Amino acid sequence: MWQQILAGIIILFFIIRLYDQNKKKEITPNEFAIWLAFWLTAALAVIFIKQIDRLVAYLGFSGNGINFLIYLAVLALFYLVFRLRLSIAKLDRQLTELVRQITLGDKK
Amino acid sequence: MAAPDMKIICVIPAWNEAKNIVKVINGVRPHVQEIVVVDDSSRDETGRLAAGAGATVLRHPINRGQGAALQTGNDYALKSAADIIVHFDGDDQFLAAEIPDMVAPLKEDRADIVFGSRFLGRPTNWPAIKRYVIMPLAKIFTRLVLGVKLSDPQNGFRALNRRAALAIRITNREMAHASEIQAKAFGARLRIAEVPVTVVYHEFGQKLSGGFQVLKDLLINKIINPPKAE
Repeated sequence: MWQQILAGIIILFFIIRLYDQNKKKEITPNEFAIWLAFWLTAALAVIFIKQIDRLVAYLGFSGNGINFLIYLAVLALFYLVFRLRLSIAKLDRQLTELVRQITLGDKK
Repeated sequence: MAAPDMKIICVIPAWNEAKNIVKVINGVRPHVQEIVVVDDSSRDETGRLAAGAGATVLRHPINRGQGAALQTGNDYALKSAADIIVHFDGDDQFLAAEIPDMVAPLKEDRADIVFGSRFLGRPTNWPAIKRYVIMPLAKIFTRLVLGVKLSDPQNGFRALNRRAALAIRITNREMAHASEIQAKAFGARLRIAEVPVTVVYHEFGQKLSGGFQVLKDLLINKIINPPKAE
């Protein structure tokens, strides 16, 4: 039970911080919505951890609910890293093209 | 049929090659109409020395790698109405006297692209790790993954006609461009020729870690942007 309270406090801290960042316009409304949805989902997962345990068992996984959430988090992280890699590769290519145009433009 | 009046432009990508660039330019000059040195943001006097030796110098404002420099040179050469573009290294490893052999198949319209090869009889003072580890691995990789059937998978000495230069756009900005060019030449169904060339290694050349970097770049590029003719 105390773990759930601790997790809830941590989530609350991040949600307050998120509101603060949004108020100061440090993030876009879209980013605010995405991160708010993320933290609210995390809060729901913490509140309903027993139900998730039952769901995970029903689906046939051997671990408990929290393990299952960690697996999902790792998968999400892999996906985010892949997306970042694509994004960096695209930026890198655009930078090279920009450098090329500056170089050839200087020569005109 | 031979076409001796073709305009040949030699593209030399160079990064901190002040030690060799003038010698290389002087060697290449008798065999081409114009020499373009793409100075990839050298920290030494490469650009100034190259200009003094009579080359056209294109300077990248920031370092982007050999593959990027070659594509910049190709773009310039195409704009300058080159019929043939020769890629030549700035580190004095190739013999400029072999340029006529490289461009002959293009002049005679027997090929669209000519790759130099260290495996067709000319002498090369190979570093052992390059000969026995890097090259066999690179050959297996380029054959199985990229579908390239050539004797030398990583040779920077090549010559292209306009058709080839327009068909191949180099996107690997680092050293993996050599395999990328070969893969795109096959992908675009260009007429390909190989010519024996001599390579003189003054230093160790590519290290084993460099070889793995090339493999990694090729794999990532294949996932992100599969090799194809553009």
